[in-house]
Formats: sequence, structure tokens, C-alpha cells
Amino acid sequence: MKTVLQAKGLCKTYIVNKRQNNVLKNIDLTIEEGEMVAVMGPSGSGKSTLLYCLSGMDRVTAGKVDFCGKEITELNEKELASLRLDEMGFIFQQMYMMKNLSVLDNIILPAVKSKKNSESRKQTEERGRALMRKLGIDDIGNNDINEVSGGQLQRACICRSMINSPKMIFADEPTGALNRATSDEVMDELTKLNSEGTTVMCVTHDPKVAAKCSRVLYIVDGGIVGEKMLGKLGESKETLRDRERDLNNWLMEQGW
Amino acid sequence: MFFRILKKDLKRKKTMNIILLLFIILCSMFAAASVNNIIAVTGGIDHYFDMANVPDISVTLSKKNDEFEKELNELSSIKEIKTEKYFEITSSKSFIHNGVRLTNFINPANLLADTEMALNYFDKDNNIIESVEKGTFYATIPFTDDTDIKDGDDVTVRLDGKELTLKYMGYFKGALFSTDPSAGPMLLVNPADYSTLEEYGASQSLLGDGKRLYINTSDTDAIEELADQYDSVYASTREQHRSLYLYDMLTAYIMMAISIVLMITAFVVLRFTIGFTIAEEFREIGVMKAVGIQSGSIRGMYIIKYLAISVAGALIGFICSMPLQDMMMKTVSKNMVLGSENGSVMGAVSCVGVVTVILIFCYICTRRVKKLSPIDAVRNGQTGERFGRRSMIHLGSSKLPSTGFMALNDVMSAPKRFGLITLIFALCMLIVTLMSNFALTLKSEKILWAFTIPESEAHIMDAEMIGKMFGDDKDACNKLISDVSDTLEKEGIQGQVSVSLGKNCKSYYNDKTADLTYWVNKGENISKPRIDEGCAPGKSDEIALTGYAMDDLGAGIGDRIKADFDGEEKEFLVTGKFSTFMGSGHTALLYNDVEFASPNSSSGIQIHFDGSPDKETINKNIDKLREVFDTDKIYNTSDMIKQMTGISDTLNTIKKMMMILTAIVTAMIVVLMERSFISKEKSEIALMKAVGVSSRSIIAQHTLRFVMVSVIACIVSLAVLMPISNIIMDFVCSMIGDISGMKCDIDPIEIFVICPIMLILVTTIGAMLTALYTRTIRASDTASIE
Repeated sequence: MKTVLQAKGLCKTYIVNKRQNNVLKNIDLTIEEGEMVAVMGPSGSGKSTLLYCLSGMDRVTAGKVDFCGKEITELNEKELASLRLDEMGFIFQQMYMMKNLSVLDNIILPAVKSKKNSESRKQTEERGRALMRKLGIDDIGNNDINEVSGGQLQRACICRSMINSPKMIFADEPTGALNRATSDEVMDELTKLNSEGTTVMCVTHDPKVAAKCSRVLYIVDGGIVGEKMLGKLGESKETLRDRERDLNNWLMEQGW
Repeated sequence: MFFRILKKDLKRKKTMNIILLLFIILCSMFAAASVNNIIAVTGGIDHYFDMANVPDISVTLSKKNDEFEKELNELSSIKEIKTEKYFEITSSKSFIHNGVRLTNFINPANLLADTEMALNYFDKDNNIIESVEKGTFYATIPFTDDTDIKDGDDVTVRLDGKELTLKYMGYFKGALFSTDPSAGPMLLVNPADYSTLEEYGASQSLLGDGKRLYINTSDTDAIEELADQYDSVYASTREQHRSLYLYDMLTAYIMMAISIVLMITAFVVLRFTIGFTIAEEFREIGVMKAVGIQSGSIRGMYIIKYLAISVAGALIGFICSMPLQDMMMKTVSKNMVLGSENGSVMGAVSCVGVVTVILIFCYICTRRVKKLSPIDAVRNGQTGERFGRRSMIHLGSSKLPSTGFMALNDVMSAPKRFGLITLIFALCMLIVTLMSNFALTLKSEKILWAFTIPESEAHIMDAEMIGKMFGDDKDACNKLISDVSDTLEKEGIQGQVSVSLGKNCKSYYNDKTADLTYWVNKGENISKPRIDEGCAPGKSDEIALTGYAMDDLGAGIGDRIKADFDGEEKEFLVTGKFSTFMGSGHTALLYNDVEFASPNSSSGIQIHFDGSPDKETINKNIDKLREVFDTDKIYNTSDMIKQMTGISDTLNTIKKMMMILTAIVTAMIVVLMERSFISKEKSEIALMKAVGVSSRSIIAQHTLRFVMVSVIACIVSLAVLMPISNIIMDFVCSMIGDISGMKCDIDPIEIFVICPIMLILVTTIGAMLTALYTRTIRASDTASIE
């Protein structure tokens, strides 16, 4: 399998009130194409910081991050922006969207900004609508973002992250602000995308969400202290409930 | 507890609070300065007149008139008469500075000895002048206007080949002496120097010694009536003297209008800023409501916060208003002695007014707090609910580039906010363009008709030459026309010569009387005058009247009016109505064969060159004529009109000042608004960066929003410019004379190119430099947005 993301000796330090706070300590990590990786750990352990450093949203203090053959720590802001636009997708816990745009316009905005495709605005819009249809929200395209539910909005965010067919999606607690039923729906969509070949890295607190991933990393005090291979959902006869039980047991061992 | 929240809030939302503070400073500054300006201007003239001891009425006798004085002294209503004798030096050429003869003033200079001073005169530091040292002199502003004469310079007076050198001590202010550049200057000298110059100039003086009588009386009408019975006796009441400061008042009122516009601008922006800061706090408001704090208490907390900021801002603004006020009053205080007793108090009162208005804004803005349920406030959006509607345009169907679309979408999503910014920019632009139009119009050749002068290209305004017509000889003007015409022929310049003369005569119709200026154009070049209604006079017993003159007499077209002409009663048939600046609009136009002696006024000698020569040839001819007639006071039409209106240069100065002020205000609005937009849109900027939109594209989007607004502002202001220009121009012209329907002149390059470019450029640079701040917002900030 092809490596999509590789981090070596990754460190991130914040200086707060003249005190050094080492958030990430010497992290080595490899993510292969088609993987769906969950990052778990207690609050303040550095999960989100790891996600931001790996996606180039934040600068690392030391170490190297290779994304699809590009050393992102050496890229300037413009190149990083271009990389995020064309090769990466992002989903946040809060359903951040541009307030002045309709749901559909929010979804197609990255495609319009990208120089990757030479398609017309109409074709882009059609692609956006197709993605919305796929995620079951095609009826809210012209709505204001205040007029739709949280679950619909998060699915719209997934559509936005998918619009430029990224190599990898980074999701920071994508179900954190959703109820159980909606959370399951959103995770089902991400799993579906992953089964279609998109690599996903997802930060979560929820073992039910992590159980749908193929691999789980456990991070404590800025270092990866455990790794659990679950395999692709549906590849074995193991039910989701079995995966959850297995994962919970492992997490208890890790001190969860 | 509340104060702890308040303290934390002031620290945490530093940027928005600083922006708010800056706008409050700006607002208080303009409010305090304009209130002071209004007070100084409205009460300024009376205050000045009181300080100068201006009497109820003053009478000017341009020559000795014992009979008038005898009759005056017999009037029982007279309380006090003070007399001032003066001596006239007819031409500026009699004054030499650094070996060069002065050419700057047209009308004769009047010399006054310090022992003759009947009123209080002030030096430039507003001290009363008690005496003038021998060998020195003070002069009113027109004397040094357009020259490089500085205090302490020597100026030689040459009369009849004899010279006396005097040291210039600086300008002085005389309440009844005009400071208009075209006015004759007044020189204040030592009695010994006065006698010397009077002796030197005995043969030079064309009009003889003059006398001014300053009279305090209980019946000014009686003196006016008496003065009307004599030629060369002019009475002006204290009220009429106020018109001397018409242009000063006009300038001050323009400055006042400008400061009011700036004040409104600052208030509008302030309203937005308060709106933004409160919108940012909806979540906190929700939390407070959720834990059971009552709406009134929450509002109280915000009102206390804004009270704290506005009091601090108003204090700083009040201090900053002092130099601004000095700048605003500079032009007026140069000509007048202004009192400032109540200025500071009123400035402070206006700052309290600003604080009150801010608290009202705050009260209105926090009304939403009452309407919101806790759940609404907590749930709504990341940083508060967007209460506006999204734009009507769609990215999918738009042909615009994405950055352009985003900018346009932002503008259309907040029409009220951007609409008001557009209005402010349009107002700033309008003021500059209006000034440009007025300045241009009041020196435009196209308004020559308003002076009731025949079509001509060169104008001889030399007092010495014009003075030849002011005698008792009825034929003097024809002789002058013939002399000038002969000179032109001799010099090979083909042209026709004419003169314009005015004579003040008592006029009657039924039981009404009025003093009208009877105007006549005489000479080889008599084009048909412009008539608004009826027809031009075609016989010597026909006249046209202005609207003001018709109102004075209650007469109309077809009526027969009577007038006293050199002691002889003449009857005229009113054939038409016309407009003119001459005689302050109280004027009658005579047929050109009418002749009279001792005219009172003239707009000079006009030359209409044959063969419609170009500007270069006209200027060449004028230069030649200057040499031939040994005078610099021969002007082209544009310069002559500039001299006659006397306000064009002032308006030009105001225009330049306005351009600078507009640039500063626009830049401030752009910078502060953009900075508050960035603060408000931090989450969206971070989000855009997170999804891969480049910083350059975000900066371009933010800049484009302001560029769009400034372009719309330019279009709006240019669309309304001409109708507004014409309305205001009509108003200004009605103050100078009886002119209506004046069409403003326009400089297309300045109006359609320079001004819009200036506004758009300032906006673009201001917005772009401020938008650079978005670079400090990182993509990862998306996660830390509240």
C-alpha cells in the first residue's frame, strides 16, 4: 500500500507565560492509503494539535511531515494553502461555514477556488448537488446555514471536504456536537467515503466512532502510547458491537 | 461581580474596544470643534462690532460736503458723531517693495492717521492699536495679498516723483474695512507721515480727501434718507456692514457643514462598531440569561462598559478638538476678532452630548438582549446569530471570479452596513466635487453675462484709467473709449472697446421708492444683453429691471418708473427683467445711448478682439496692452471674474483642504471599519484558510469590498453632483446679486478622474494595508474560535 502521510520526530511546543509547554513529543507516524485512523486520548493530550500539525494547519516545532511525497514543513503558507485546498479535506467539531453563503455555495466554494479542475461553474454546482444527494441533504442546497439542523450541516461540511476529491480527510471530533443518531449517520458517511478509497484521520472521544475505524492511536501527554489495529469494518465477520467491546477493553488497558 | 466581568471584557476584547474608543475620540473631536465653530461664527460679528465700537450707522463722503454735514448736525436723533478723515492713493503702482511696484490691488488705497482713528482697530494679535510709530505703517489684508511683503519690510510710497519709505508692521483688522482681495486696502500711518504723503500726492488724488462719519443715533432711517438726497454720500447701517463678512460667514458655514458631515460619519461608524461588539457577545449574553441574570442587568453591564469607554474617548476627543478648532477658525479669525469665552464650555457640553448619543446607541443595540431567549443566544452560530439575510446571488450561477463573488456577496449580504459606508463616502466625495464646481464656476468665462458686461476678452481694471470716467463730464467715457481704441489701432490690435458704468439713483413707482444702480454699457462693442423676461431696452427711455429691483419698487414689465438723474427726473418704461451681480442685484439696465455724469461704479474697460483669437493670442495682446498702458491691471475674462467675485480662491483653498480631510477621514473609516470587520469575521477567515483559500485571496476579497463601495459612492455622488451644484450655486449667487438659473461649470478631469481616483485609491490602499492583518489569523484558529 502507498503511504499517504508520514511523520518523523514530530514535536510541537507552545510558550505560555514564558513557560514551555511540549504538546507533541517526538511523534513517529505513518498512514497508508485507504486507512481510516482514529486518534483517541484524554483531553489536553495533544490529539487536535497532532491533526493540525499533520495537515499543515499549524507549524511544527521540530520533525518532518511527508504528505504524498511533499515535505509540508518546508512549504510556505501559499503552498500549504494550495495543498489543503486540493489534496486535503477538513471536518470540524463545530459546523463552521460562511454565514453569507447558502449551504450549496459553501460546499462548492473550495472547488471554485481550486485550479485543479477546469470545469465550468455549472458543472461544479452539479458536482456539489451530486455530493449532497449522496449524503441525503440535496433538499437544503439553497437554504441559509441557520435554517438546517446540526446533522445536516455536518453532512454539508463532509460534502465540502469531499468536493475537491482530496487524498485525505482530517476530521476533528466530527460528531462531538451531534446526538447519537446523527453521529451514527455522519460516521456512516465517513466510513462509506473511506470504503471508496479516501484516507481518513479522525480525532474522537467516542469509542463507538473509533470502532468504525481501521486503526486507533492512543495519545497521552503528547506521545503515542498505544496502537490498535481493528481492520476495515465489514471485512471480517466481527460485528460492530464486537469491535466496540474489543476497543473498550483495549482503551481500559491504556488507562481510558 | 459585574465590574469583574467588565474589567475582563475590556481586556479580552481589546481590539474592538480600541476601535470603539478611536471612533468616540473622532466623534467628540468633530462635535466639540463644530459647536465652537458655530458659536464663534453666529455670534462672532456682533461681538467683533461691539469690540470695535461700530456705530449704528456710518456715512462715507467721498468729497467735501458741508451742506450735508450741516443738515446732519441739525437732526435731533443724533447721539454722537465721530469723524475719520482719509486720503486716497489711487494706484497700487505708487507702492514699491524691493524695487518692484505693487500690482496686487485694483481699488485705491486709503491712508488714515492714527490720531484720526474713530473706531478700535486691532493688530494681528487682537490688541487695540493706540498709535503708529513714525516711519511705520499697518495695512489691511488686501495690501499684502498676492505679494511677498513680510512684517518689518520697507515699502516706498512714490507720489509725484517724491518718495517716502515706511516700515510694514503687519496687518490690522478694521471692522468696517473689507478684507476681500479686490477691496482697496486701508493703511494706518503716523500723522507726520500722513501729512507728508498728503502733500506729495496732492496732484495725484483724483477723488480728493474723503471722510467717514460714525454716528450713534436713535433714527438711522433719517440719516439714510438725508444721505440719499446727496451725490457721493453713502450711508450704511451696522446691519448692512455685516455683509462685509459674507464670504467669511460663507467659509465658516462651509467648514461647519463639513464638520457636521464628519460628525455624522463618525456617529454612523460608531453605531456599527457598537452593533458589532454586541453581536460578538450573544453567546455570553445567552449564558448569562441561562444562569438567570435578568435582561435589565445584562443591558446595564454593557451600558456601563460603553459609558466607561465613551467617557474616556470624549475626554481625549475634547482635548484633541482644540487644535482642530483653531484650524477651522483660522480663515475667519484672520479677518475678525473672535471671542472664545463660551467655546470650551460648549465644547465640553457637546462631548457630553456625544456620550449621551453613544449610550442611546448602546441602549438601542442591546434591545436584542431582551428579545433573545437564552437558547437562541447560546445556540446561534459560532460567534452570535447573523440576523441579516444571505445574499441573493449564487456562486454556482455567478460569472464572477471567486474572490470578486465573495466580495460582492459580502456587500449584498449586509446592504444596510455597506449602504451607509457608501453614503458616507459619497458625501465626502460630493463635498470635494461641489467645492471644485463652485470655485471653477466663480471664475468661469461663461458667467460673464452675470456681470452685465458685453462679450469681451480683455478687461482694463486700472483705477487710474477707470477714474477718468468718474468726473462731471458726461462725455468722459466716450473720450476714454476713443483713446483706448486709438491706442489699439496704433499697436495693430484689432478690437472693439466698451465700458460699463453704474450710477446710483433714487427711483420711484407709485408710493414706493428705492435706491437702484442704473447700469449702462457704452462703446463700439455692444452685444445684446441677456434678458430673462420681456425684451432688452431699445430706447433711451426704456429699462430692464432685476427681480430684486422690481420687488423694491413693486413694478413690473410695462410699468413706468421715475428716477432722479443728476437732479433731473426721468421716466422709464420697464421692458424686461434681467439678472445681474452688479449693484448687489438691485439694478436697472439702461439703453446704451443714455449718458450721465458722475457715475458711482464701473466694471472697467472691455476689449473684444476681432476674429475670435485663441487664448495664446489673447494673452499676448493683454501683455502688449499692459506695456502700452503701463499697468498690470489688464486681465483676461477668467481673471477678471475671479477678481470680481473674490471667492473663487477661497473656495479653491477649501477644496484643497477638503481633499486632504476627505482622504484622512476616508482612510480612517476604511482602516477602522476593516479592522472591526476582521475582528468580527475572524472565524470565517480562519475557516477559509483551513479549507485552503490563500491569504492573498482573502486580502483581495476584503479590499474589493471597499473598492466596490467606493466605486458605487463615486457613481452616486457624480449622479447627484450637477443638480445639487446648481441648487447651491443659485443660493450663493442670490447672496451676491440677483442671479437665478446659474449653471455650474465643471472640470471633467478633476470631477470624473482625479476625485474618484483619489477616493478609490485611498480606500484601496487603506483596506489592503489593514487586510494584511488577516495574515496573522491562522487556519488552526478555527479550532479555538469561541
